[in-house]
Amino acid sequence: MDKPSIKKIIVDSIKNLNLSRGPDEQIDESPDARLLGGESNLDSLGLVTLLIDIEDNLADHECQVSLMDEKAMSRNRSPFRSVESLAQYIADFIESR
Amino acid sequence: MSAVMLITGTSRGIGRFLANHYLERDMFVIGCSRGPSDIAHERYRHFEVDVTDEKAIDGLFRDIRKEPGRLDILINNVGIASMNPIALTPVSSARKVMDTNFIAPFMFSQRAIRLLRKSKHPRIINISSIAVPFRLEGEAVYAASKSAVETFTRILAKEVSGFGITCNAVGPGPIRTALIRGVGEEKIKALVARQSIKEMATFEDVANVMDFFIRPESRMVTGQVVYLGGAG
Repeated sequence: MDKPSIKKIIVDSIKNLNLSRGPDEQIDESPDARLLGGESNLDSLGLVTLLIDIEDNLADHECQVSLMDEKAMSRNRSPFRSVESLAQYIADFIESR
Repeated sequence: MSAVMLITGTSRGIGRFLANHYLERDMFVIGCSRGPSDIAHERYRHFEVDVTDEKAIDGLFRDIRKEPGRLDILINNVGIASMNPIALTPVSSARKVMDTNFIAPFMFSQRAIRLLRKSKHPRIINISSIAVPFRLEGEAVYAASKSAVETFTRILAKEVSGFGITCNAVGPGPIRTALIRGVGEEKIKALVARQSIKEMATFEDVANVMDFFIRPESRMVTGQVVYLGGAG
């Protein structure tokens, strides 16, 4: 799976998550959006929900990825900080297998 | 559609009883154990899975995602005992008990959250034991594994409350299962005598507490451990 496809899955997952969130809790759906820190509306439960959605959507494309592993948690800069960094992390994960 | 329940360890004992109990209550039951099951029912599906095998568990959940495609209740029932003084317990058996009694419920719960969060009344139910509050000599590893289950239950309850999932545990005393086959009659009698209600619990008593946890009205009941017969 290429990076643009991964990015699309992430953005689709954000759009899906936004359906269940109030107008003040919407998460930026743009491909260069920040997910953590700054102006982001994503709290810890929201992040978990989003990551589970992304994993499920990847699994629907026959791509089994575990995002919440020790490698991700132990990085100095969280791979979950933006759509771009998350897409890169998933692409690297798929390539390393 | 009827509620979908996953029960681990359904080939015998409490798990087998619970599978039949909930089939009688019109639920769709998915069971698993290392070997086959003798439960034959149109709403029962059995998977032969080693509950300590992460890849096998992933496979099981992949299958559930495909069919029936949803999950409402997870009962982490499977458990093994190790009745030995600490000085005589091999490390390998301590690891095996922790893997089966604690790591397995951890893995099943983690994977189940994905499906449960889409349920209307999602529930996770774990099995503890009165070995925890009684701090039973000769059962250190077993009791420690169940202590882990209790703490896990209470913290999981907090972490998944945002998904509407409740997480509770039932802690039976000695029940006539294979788990206590090696325990002497005198020891069991002494154990029962320490309970507030000095009787052995039955499978029905376990199911009764689970029925309570499961009912939609119990949406505010979470992070609780109920000991049968009274203990602590």
